[in-house]
Amino acid sequence: MLTLTHYLTLGAILMCLSVAGIFLNRKNIIILLMSIELMLLAANMNLVAFSRFIGNPDGQIFVFFILTVAAAEAAIGLAILVALYRNRQSINVADLDDLKG
Amino acid sequence: MNWQDLQVAAPEIIVLLMACGLLILDLFVSEQRRGLIHLVSLLILALAAIITLRGIPAIDAVTPVMAFGDTYVRDSMGDLLKVFAYLLMAMMLIYSRHYLRQFDMYRSEYYALALFALLGAMVLISAASMITIYLGLELMSLSLYAMVALKRDDKVATEAAMKYFILGSMASGMLLYGMSMIYGATGSLQIHEISQAIANQGSDNMILLLGLVFTVVALAFKFGLVPFHMWVPDVYQGAPAPVTLFISSVPKLAAFAMTIRLLQDSLGGLHGDWQGMLLMVGVLSIALGNLAALAQSNIKRMLAYSTIAHMGFVMLGLLSGTPEGYGASMFYVITYALMSAGAFGVVIFMSSKGIEADNLDDYKGLNQRNPWFAAMFALLLLSLAGVPVLVGFFAKWLVLQAVVNVGMTWLALVAVIFSVIGAFYYLRVIKLMYFDKADIETPISAPSDFRAVLTGNALLVLVLGIFSGPLIAACMAAF
Amino acid sequence: MLIQEIIFYAFSIIMIVAATLVISVRNPVYSVLYLILTFFSAAALWILLGAEFLAIILVLVYVGAVMVLFLFVLMMLNVDLSRVNEGFVKNLPLGLLVAAIMLAEILVVLWYKGRTGIEDFPIPEPLSADYSNTAEIGQRLFTQYLWPFELAGIVLLVAIVAAIALTMRKREGVKTQSIPKQVQADKRDRVKLIDMPVEGVEDK
Repeated sequence: MLTLTHYLTLGAILMCLSVAGIFLNRKNIIILLMSIELMLLAANMNLVAFSRFIGNPDGQIFVFFILTVAAAEAAIGLAILVALYRNRQSINVADLDDLKG
Repeated sequence: MNWQDLQVAAPEIIVLLMACGLLILDLFVSEQRRGLIHLVSLLILALAAIITLRGIPAIDAVTPVMAFGDTYVRDSMGDLLKVFAYLLMAMMLIYSRHYLRQFDMYRSEYYALALFALLGAMVLISAASMITIYLGLELMSLSLYAMVALKRDDKVATEAAMKYFILGSMASGMLLYGMSMIYGATGSLQIHEISQAIANQGSDNMILLLGLVFTVVALAFKFGLVPFHMWVPDVYQGAPAPVTLFISSVPKLAAFAMTIRLLQDSLGGLHGDWQGMLLMVGVLSIALGNLAALAQSNIKRMLAYSTIAHMGFVMLGLLSGTPEGYGASMFYVITYALMSAGAFGVVIFMSSKGIEADNLDDYKGLNQRNPWFAAMFALLLLSLAGVPVLVGFFAKWLVLQAVVNVGMTWLALVAVIFSVIGAFYYLRVIKLMYFDKADIETPISAPSDFRAVLTGNALLVLVLGIFSGPLIAACMAAF
Repeated sequence: MLIQEIIFYAFSIIMIVAATLVISVRNPVYSVLYLILTFFSAAALWILLGAEFLAIILVLVYVGAVMVLFLFVLMMLNVDLSRVNEGFVKNLPLGLLVAAIMLAEILVVLWYKGRTGIEDFPIPEPLSADYSNTAEIGQRLFTQYLWPFELAGIVLLVAIVAAIALTMRKREGVKTQSIPKQVQADKRDRVKLIDMPVEGVEDK
């Protein structure tokens, strides 16, 4: 039987993979952005599963808005990335060292 | 939706429509007449302020009014915060015109993004559902990321924007994960239904607690509290000075409202659980913020660490969990935003053609170069340090009083000790201005509107200190 | 019921493997492609949960637009692959430790019997044949959730304004056709009639 716990476990695994991705890829910003997408997917997975098991579509509506905002977020993130690349010719996290104190 | 919904949400609707109108107007305005965009932006703020202050006809304004299928709420806390948000934003726009011209950034996107960020803050302040909290937060944050990067040929500004973006989106992801757990545990996204559900089923639900943990982490990120403060100094230093001013003022009001909506209005039943978390981040922020600020040689970075310490104080009021504590925190966050706006106003004032004066040494002998503004800056710094008669003192006093009233005297003592240590770095800047010799002796000046607003800003800190009663009463009445 | 379990486990495993590869492969282009696979599997699972509309949106908007944008930027930026995974091994123990602790904590909560409340959720009834997920979401979106819907539009507008402000620039020396300028051209700008004395003719 597929219970709610199955789906929530899946969400938890995705969330932790995303956190691991943020820790491991200290080098490439674009993979950091993808890890953040995974984190959003984890939250969405939870919301869809809860929505089905509670029997209330509000969770799905929330996911609809999260997807919309995430698209906008990706666009702005990549725009900043392009601006950054133009200034430094690199998207390596280790090269982001001008700000220190 | 009906006519009443539109009336209740009128401030947001006006800002939204006018901001879109501004984008269209920009197509027909030549570069030489960009001042028109500036004036229209100020006009939008004035209009929004009038509509907000007029209140809602035929409805008792004290009790919260819901609109748009219970996703929007209008209450006295929201109205007060919004009015101050307009004021801070208007000051920011007047300060920034001087800067934008000198740094070749005088473009109308700056105004459009600032207005959208304000709209996001307003939505967040008036959010009554998890969905509107998230949308308001993202509308505000996305506009801010872009504003930081608007100085797009600057290595440092784009780096700051990237860091801000990554850590900010991570915090949003955490917040969503927490919200999904809260939704699962209570079966609703509406704030009042969540608090109702918690009241019915009791608070010992592990899923709810898991959601709470993620939510508090996300809030700490957004406030910039230790140990989630890494982005604050970098962003404050790297962003163009007017954007730093903006980040340190309006979003702080919005973050305060967001905390109240999430922790008090929806998860108020879990007060015993979140009190400990806020205590930890609050104390760490006050301690580390004040100590790290001592070691800075860059004034924007120093003010960033000072922000961290001040936000720690805001947490102290919130964690008391009493209406008195919430009122004290609200007073604190409003007055902090005013003081910080003034301080960054001085940083903008000191910047000249293409060079930001962000090293502490640039402030040497400011008294010789412009005595009036040296005095104004000293007033602002003393207020930030919490010297009596100025408003910063009363803010600290109220928060400490709220903490003592819930029996946490030791916490108040710790906070006092660290703010005494913190007073040192503010006094160091005053010493530089008055007792050190200037490297460059040329007098500094700025346009008259800039000077008038900066003077008003600094004097407001004094006036609000001497006549603090009405604002304190208004803050206390909001809870 | 068995067929559903097969579908669930098959797509879950694909999804977890793909998500692991997203964060661990060397070439970022492969990462994007694995992320697309992750989203496809998630869409399949959402259909299993009866959320068809969102599943289709996920494929259309996410895979079709957002991931293509990622790929596009990645190709444009010419990433130095030799340095991409520097420090991966160094950070591996810490990253795995943090992720494992977090996973363990969340799973303890989720699997804990008794106070979690998860047992309170019975397996939902299968949806009826004439149920339309799209219609239900659409109906709520334009009534109860009108305010967030308008705000989502503004968020997208901000993304447009920001992306253009940050990346569009006028390059020097590029010869492009400007249609407005052509249309606005006036004969007075093009032809100039100048009065000048006629040479070689004597004034009489």
